[in-house]
Amino acid sequence: MELLNPKDVRISAEAGATPCLVGAQCGECGAVVFPRLPVCPKCKKRDGMTEVEIGRTAKLYSHTIARFAPTGFRAPFFQVFVDLPEGPRIFSLVGDDCPAESGVLEDGMEMRLVVEPLADTDEMRAIHTYKYVPAACADERRGDAQDA
Amino acid sequence: MRDVAVIGVGARPTGRLADCGLKELAYPAIWNALDDAGVGVDDLDVAYVGNSIAGLLTGQEGIRGQVVLQHSGISGIPVINVENACASGATAFRGAWLEVASGAADVALAVGVEKMFVDDSARTISALSGVSELELSQMGMQFTTSYAIHPKINLKARMDEYGWTLEDFAKPAVKNSYNGSLNPLAQHRKPRTIEEVVQSRVVVDPLTLLMCSSISDGAGAAILCSADMAKRFTSKDTIRVASCVLRSGHYKLRDYDGPDTATLCAQAAYEEAGVGPEDLDAIELHDAMAPSELMLYERLGLCGPGDGPRLIDDELTTLNGRVPVNPSGGLCSRGHPVGATGLLQIAELVTQMRGEAGDRQIEKRPKVTLAQNQGGLLMGQDSAVYSTTILTT
Ligand SMILES: [Zn+2]
Repeated sequence: MELLNPKDVRISAEAGATPCLVGAQCGECGAVVFPRLPVCPKCKKRDGMTEVEIGRTAKLYSHTIARFAPTGFRAPFFQVFVDLPEGPRIFSLVGDDCPAESGVLEDGMEMRLVVEPLADTDEMRAIHTYKYVPAACADERRGDAQDA
Repeated sequence: MRDVAVIGVGARPTGRLADCGLKELAYPAIWNALDDAGVGVDDLDVAYVGNSIAGLLTGQEGIRGQVVLQHSGISGIPVINVENACASGATAFRGAWLEVASGAADVALAVGVEKMFVDDSARTISALSGVSELELSQMGMQFTTSYAIHPKINLKARMDEYGWTLEDFAKPAVKNSYNGSLNPLAQHRKPRTIEEVVQSRVVVDPLTLLMCSSISDGAGAAILCSADMAKRFTSKDTIRVASCVLRSGHYKLRDYDGPDTATLCAQAAYEEAGVGPEDLDAIELHDAMAPSELMLYERLGLCGPGDGPRLIDDELTTLNGRVPVNPSGGLCSRGHPVGATGLLQIAELVTQMRGEAGDRQIEKRPKVTLAQNQGGLLMGQDSAVYSTTILTT
């Protein structure tokens, strides 16, 4: 699978494993950042940053619907900021299970990470990235998969 | 540091200028500034040229400054190319100011120029996305989105927090559209009503089309010189650069609860100039999305949290209010040719301070004015560039 930024996302081949983001944590003050940095933005310590798996879940911080799309994207689409339990507040998109046309988002809701094509367009279909979907959508999907 | 004066400004009308490339856009603004200052090309010691996205859009990736200056009849002098997103113009101005303030140059030219109307507006929008950190733009982050939901401003959350309504969001756009209607240099000259702004097409919820600055071609220029030399060139009032502060964004972790960078930048500019927000007679600020003007009132120290709409309701920031904001029409009406905007702001303030602004002239000629310009978007929840300049007579 082609990933937009392979260093930022980890997909395990093990059964039952869920994808996650790869951030970095400061050994000095504990700050967690995403994407990784070689220096801590908080205490400025260098080379004390270690890789850490984060972002399997998140809480929706803010959301909107973009009605105009930059090249390669298709409007309308949700754009969101999510709070990861490990600390970072990051920009992301919303997975296909919750499309902008019919999906409902509410700030504060629980989200789950999914890895999906950047956009359903010729330019972007093959390029995958991290997105989030409401936890309820993700659970439903998992249920469907088990039934099948 | 020496006292620095702005002795000439030039701006050309903004808008869709189909027959103009970068060169054709820049030279009228440069010539206007030179003529306004009474400065000849041989008097110039150095030039700074700000531009943001013409490399991507026109293919002229390098030496854009030398190219537009040679086309304007200026060559031989040091030329510094400046790219600093939507604050490229303000950054070019700061470079010119620093040259003169430091004594390295006596007379300096600052230019901002941008060509945004090309064959395909999707290309322009994508190029604009490129002034955000790549990991953001690759994910489809747009500037409209950043104003709507980005933690640094989050206008949507302000609706909950302050009780601001869509009508409140429309107020700066309406006020500025009136100012723009009086400005022959403005791109959009139709005065708008609250209803028109609120009911225009939604771009990114909650922002509507008439709340957003639009694509624009344009150029602005300024001539700066050592204040004690100003009268050698011009008999017009000497306008001093009381402070010129440039800041970059901070990496903000989620628990960051310190001041906003625009606030820090303004505070530094006030301190350097020895004035406060209560002393200002006019402001040109970066209303790339109209409602952001309401937040900038707070960040410039004009009002407390949430009080922005009241400043417009009470007509404090209208053209003849106590402190008129965006007399030019601002980014939404005058236009936002991104790399030119910082210099268009300076040009407007100088024009107002000299009493030369025609129909849009502020009745009580401003003596202390402030220009605020910003741009770019970083990972780490902040804009990339903030600039605040204070001018005094
Ligand atoms: Zn640290």
